[in-house]
Amino acid sequence: MGWEYYAVVLLVYLGTDLLAVWGLNLEFGVAGVANLAYIVVVAAGAYAYAVCTLGPSSNDGGFQAYIGGLSLPFPVALLAGSAAGAVVGTLIGITGLKRLRQDYQAVAMLVVSLMIVTLVSADSGLFNGSTGLALIPNPFASLDPQTERWSYVALVAVCCLIGLFVLRRFTTGPIGRTLRAMRDDDTAASAAGKDVVRLRLVVQAVGGAFGGLSGALLVGFIGGWSPSAWAYVETLAFLSCVIVGGRGSDRGVSAGTLVIAVLLLQGVQFLPQIASSPGLSEDFGWMILGGATIVFIWFRPQGVLPERRPRYAKRSSSDPSG
Amino acid sequence: MHLIIESVGFGVATGAVIGLGAVGFSVQFGISNILNITYGALMTLSAYVGLLLINRGVSAWIALPIGAVVVGLVSVLYNRALLAPLVRRGTPPVAMVITTVAAGTILQYVIVAIAGPSSQSYGEQSGQTLHFLGLTLSEGQVVIIVLTAVLMLGLHLLLTRTTLGKAMRATSSNRTLARSCGISTSRVSDISWLISGALCGAAGVALAITTVSFDFSLGGLFLIPMIAAAILGGIGQPYGAMLGGLIVGVSSEVFAAVSNPNYKDIVAFAILIIVLLVRPRGLFGTGSSTRRLMEG
Repeated sequence: MGWEYYAVVLLVYLGTDLLAVWGLNLEFGVAGVANLAYIVVVAAGAYAYAVCTLGPSSNDGGFQAYIGGLSLPFPVALLAGSAAGAVVGTLIGITGLKRLRQDYQAVAMLVVSLMIVTLVSADSGLFNGSTGLALIPNPFASLDPQTERWSYVALVAVCCLIGLFVLRRFTTGPIGRTLRAMRDDDTAASAAGKDVVRLRLVVQAVGGAFGGLSGALLVGFIGGWSPSAWAYVETLAFLSCVIVGGRGSDRGVSAGTLVIAVLLLQGVQFLPQIASSPGLSEDFGWMILGGATIVFIWFRPQGVLPERRPRYAKRSSSDPSG
Repeated sequence: MHLIIESVGFGVATGAVIGLGAVGFSVQFGISNILNITYGALMTLSAYVGLLLINRGVSAWIALPIGAVVVGLVSVLYNRALLAPLVRRGTPPVAMVITTVAAGTILQYVIVAIAGPSSQSYGEQSGQTLHFLGLTLSEGQVVIIVLTAVLMLGLHLLLTRTTLGKAMRATSSNRTLARSCGISTSRVSDISWLISGALCGAAGVALAITTVSFDFSLGGLFLIPMIAAAILGGIGQPYGAMLGGLIVGVSSEVFAAVSNPNYKDIVAFAILIIVLLVRPRGLFGTGSSTRRLMEG
């Protein structure tokens, strides 16, 4: 029973992390926008799901204050979470409209991430401030506990399959090639008639929808969400999955998610606990994560399973058009 | 009205700390061309180095230069051991930023693991307050304002009156040309990391002196006003960063006085976004700094 429960938790984390990492990989790996505010779209999805499924904030003695409280059915709330992620992702993308240097833009996004956490924590009426929201309903709560858990795993799996189907529209084929061209040389891409700014905003919206869905699914499972869950270092965790796995490669980043987000960050909880400092194993997880990111940037920037470069058949030299 | 004048005084003190940090950040970017996000965690490090000393009975005003020296040396080592070799390996700038975020995260969690996650405080500094021109400032704030002014003047003289300063400015505007003129750019780079690290360390202790309590997120949150100030002034421009710090400091304190203090940083944030959208090179950015910031 204990192990089964733990397996369910890991599967749900794997699924939600996969969706988030796919979205970030579309933005950063495929299209070249280093969105250091990515966790904000995940948070947007989580909060949107929460306030759509929760009842009015006067419930339970009004112990938490929030906007909304629409008591909507969960499929609508999941869509709302995705939509919130897409909108917030696009807004964050606007900071890059001036076509700033990529690292400069990344730093601006990092500041955006820090700022939005500060604002949401300070405003207690929006999403219950720094305490965060609790008692967010699980859509399968009426079923018996075991069925409830596995139903949620099935829901996450279905969302991942739909997500993968959508993702492949953007990372492969003509759109994928256009985005990769923009990443590698955006001047050349513009010269070839591609509207780079518009493409980036589209990518931010699609990537944001993935993040939003991930946050919504996660919060439906764990039932609570607060600013401490989306500090800017969480973006580093997703980025680390992308870099370790293989930037731009859907297979690679999926493997990276399994290793970094699930095996590493969940695995450190099995380290022997020291009673005097209970958070130590978690701190240790973050140190390893940061170290792994740097080691990969240094020794193997292409990641474990690198992006496959497209190969085109060579034209024969006798080809008159060649 | 009285409230606003008083908050201007506070703003100058806040702006002095922001300016210290922003100038260090800017000098470093000017020479190394790396946006070093580890800067925030290094500020936290110096605040905790200061705490260690103060808990042993050392005065805060002695802890400040010690924190500056420690972080200055750590910065030089950090650049030599990690960032400079990565640049030589041809790591793209955006991967450099991610590296500095990762390194900052490691440092932050090392600090948490050693010092614990709870809030810390330097304790009550000497309670004397000074009044002039309708402003009320604590002694600590006045010392920090004076100290910042002295450090900025020193940096100004260094950059304009010495051969080293000339070499630094030359390296900042064109590294390759500077090297071909016989300037040892790696030495200049070491010195600039030392200076910016020292400013970072001084700002870290000064920030801890002026705040009631702090924890490991101290430097991370300070990145908001500091980067806003550096970008407003034109990143890579030390004088711009000084003025940027003052503008950000005063406007946020005045805003905090007339509205909700929780939203103090929103002014810094608004300044940052407006500058990015309207004039990304900042107030003092030159043509060459614009070219550096835009793509291509």
